[in-house]
Amino acid sequence: MQSSLPKALGNDLRRVVGDDWVLTEPDRLLAYESDGLTAYRMLPGAVVLPKDTDEVSRVLRLLSEAGVTVVPRGAGTGLSGGALAGADSVMIGTARMKRIIEVDPVNRLALVQPGVVNADLSAAAAPFDLYYAPDPSSQSACTLGGNVAENSGGPHCLKYGVTSRYVTGLTVVTYDGDVLRLGGFGRELGSYDLVGVFVGSEGCFGIATEIEIRLLPRPEAVRTILGIFDRIEDAGRAVTAIMAAGLLPAALEIIDGPTIRAVEASVFAAGYPTDAEAALVVEFDGLETGLSRDVERATVKCTEEGAREVRAAETPEERLALWQGRKKAFGAMGRIASDLLVQDATVPRSRLPEVLGRISDIGRRYDLTIANVFHAGDGNLHPNILFDRANADEMERVERASKEIMATCVEAGGTITGEHGVGIDKRDYMTLVYGDDELEAMRGVKAVFDPMGGMNPGKVLPDPPTPSP
Amino acid sequence: MNAILARLSGRLQEGQVVDGLEAERWAICDRVPKAVAFPENEEQVAELLSIANEEGWHCVPCGRGTWLGGGSQPRGVDLVLAMTRMDTLLAHEPDDLYFEAEAGVGLDALHARVSEHGQWLPIDPPGDAGGSVGAMVSLGCAGPLRAGFGTPRDHVLGATIVTGDGRLLRLGGKVVKNVAGFDLLKLVAGSWGTLGVITKVTARLHPLPEVDKTLLFKCRDATECATLASLIIGAPVLLAAVEVLIPGDREEGQSDSTPLVAVRVLESAAAVSQAESVVTEQAGTSPFRCLEGEESRAIFANVQSMEEGAELVLRLSLLPSRLPELATMAQELVDLCDPDVGWGARLAGHAPSGILRVMISRLDRREGGLDRVLAVLERLRLSLEAESGSLVISEGPQDVVGPLGAWGDVGSAAALMAGLQREFDPGAILSQGRLGP
Repeated sequence: MQSSLPKALGNDLRRVVGDDWVLTEPDRLLAYESDGLTAYRMLPGAVVLPKDTDEVSRVLRLLSEAGVTVVPRGAGTGLSGGALAGADSVMIGTARMKRIIEVDPVNRLALVQPGVVNADLSAAAAPFDLYYAPDPSSQSACTLGGNVAENSGGPHCLKYGVTSRYVTGLTVVTYDGDVLRLGGFGRELGSYDLVGVFVGSEGCFGIATEIEIRLLPRPEAVRTILGIFDRIEDAGRAVTAIMAAGLLPAALEIIDGPTIRAVEASVFAAGYPTDAEAALVVEFDGLETGLSRDVERATVKCTEEGAREVRAAETPEERLALWQGRKKAFGAMGRIASDLLVQDATVPRSRLPEVLGRISDIGRRYDLTIANVFHAGDGNLHPNILFDRANADEMERVERASKEIMATCVEAGGTITGEHGVGIDKRDYMTLVYGDDELEAMRGVKAVFDPMGGMNPGKVLPDPPTPSP
Repeated sequence: MNAILARLSGRLQEGQVVDGLEAERWAICDRVPKAVAFPENEEQVAELLSIANEEGWHCVPCGRGTWLGGGSQPRGVDLVLAMTRMDTLLAHEPDDLYFEAEAGVGLDALHARVSEHGQWLPIDPPGDAGGSVGAMVSLGCAGPLRAGFGTPRDHVLGATIVTGDGRLLRLGGKVVKNVAGFDLLKLVAGSWGTLGVITKVTARLHPLPEVDKTLLFKCRDATECATLASLIIGAPVLLAAVEVLIPGDREEGQSDSTPLVAVRVLESAAAVSQAESVVTEQAGTSPFRCLEGEESRAIFANVQSMEEGAELVLRLSLLPSRLPELATMAQELVDLCDPDVGWGARLAGHAPSGILRVMISRLDRREGGLDRVLAVLERLRLSLEAESGSLVISEGPQDVVGPLGAWGDVGSAAALMAGLQREFDPGAILSQGRLGP
């Protein structure tokens, strides 16, 4: 298939970014056909890789004048099909915008380009004993620009909060090429929190080309324990008990039985007992002197709720081992099933035991393997449905089970996505949580940032209802 | 009876709408409303706004009347919608650490309820402790604890608003992680009643700390305080608040009017002494006093009420590292005080946020004093803005706020703001002019 990008436009774009940075050959576009949710695939019309704000602005001006729609993309690790572009769209990648412009240790701020990898920022801040707190599982690959678009979370967001807590200023280029400077630490503006509403807008409002980010001092010490449970409901109750006791762990993660068995059967084997039905990772960080008692109290809560064993890590190596089962869960599941659908819903944490039970019922009813590995402290579930895309009947069951899981979580007072975003995948679920008025207001806000509707079209919001004749 | 009262009286119960003397207490930035309505539910709010749209009345929503003086004076104040009758705490889920409240619930009432379960909402805005939850979110107000816990936008999980044209929007939810759709809640927090009337708020709670301790460091003057505070905020530990406190030079009834840096440490009993030594080491000097428990809470309650009795309250800001410069600049403002009346000028700074509040008891209006005040403030605002900082007049007389505006330059946000306002309030009836350039 030949790129549908008009030749003259292609040449104009090349003049802005340089010949090497406009990709139109199908074999080079192949790398951009999907994000981390590989169930959706399509080839963009072209990929453009600008190097800074000015180039992004000139590229967007050309594209908006030509009426060509735009899809921004970071590292492509997103899990909702947010960075998908069709043949009539141009993808703007941030791969060349990888500069950490400044780390200001005194004010604990960093200024970065959007293509900087999440973990690289923490590495650059490490000499100052600072780090960037939100830590999505993909942090060694995902970009900060992508994190801004998705308002990404991660295990340690339980204590420290998600991306929006840390982004203090943005340079944004809108579809028409206008450059906006929003927010900025150290100033109080008499304006709306435009940085706040931009974070999580999934590329539908514009492209962030510079990001001002708050850094935190690295905690002095970290302590991790692992509770082993025979029933996942008990692990869920332990989570509530720990939080209700006034403890604030840095992370509280549950790995369920099917996941444990997948991990233990893989090269990532972490030494979790394979007959267990849940493992609960509890991590505390902060001042050394406070941690022993926190760990003790959490251990008691786990035992009270029925943990058969609670392991404590004494060394950094042991800590990594306890985390192994959590961190390698997705990799391990990839080995036992050809396809994996990662869901991402949030429920009030006290409802976890009940909702987990209902999800396992749904799995049984549709004869599907569902493995749960998730941010329990935040009530942020990740039920993973294992399937084989070649099996049409199974695909159909996956879809129905998926929808039922979403509805169950919403019914329990939760929502359809905690950190992966809506993208293209959850557009149709939006009506589970919002009515027409809310969706219309969101469309209206998008139209303020993007009146021509050229930014990441067809994402996040379902199509407006067609007026009845 | 005025026309607004006549139009509304059939729709509302007796006493739900007042005018004349009774409306005076609800003046917004000195502008007395023609009428004040006290809706009891969301339907009434929507109905009031739809009538206001028909009649072209300018409306200003408010909570319990705590922060009526802030922001720029609205272009018109025909009808104030006060939320005092919508004051039910709808839910408190201790296990899930959140509450849901009608907008008119006072922060003091909320704290009384949630503290029974060892929880709190760690926000300490200036002013009366009875300010409402809805107003706090609407104004985005916060105090010293913003250093450790953030501002209302970081706590709110969900809210219901009635837009200017009467649409009821349920935004967010009750879970801490939620990225379903665009985050319109962020727009609502700090929107100063220009996008809609907040009717319900859901926000997360925190466990009450085991130990509440404040370390007090004594300094010679404001600049020394600011220098010490900027040093302390570099401590490798998360501090709840680092506040610079400089009393007015003519404070009366104060046993001790020394400039202070107050460092608030909220920790577990096991960790608090280590936190204390980390701070002391970073400061390079020992605190001259440590307050614990009730005393620690009390000094920060004093910080909340510091603005009381001030004619002019300013918020200057720059990056935290430049707090000493801010403190020096604030000295120039001290000269704007009337030397004969009042307690002079107080300074209070949220060091980790780079914000310095300046409270002036009485402005010196003798011999062209007002012109001098305006000239000094304008020059200072421009020079702060040139350095990516800001000067906000958070409360002041209209002959100062009027000519200067409460807010400074909003840069490239202006066009987006106007567009968003049209989106939520197409009839342009809500708090017009209160926020923005």
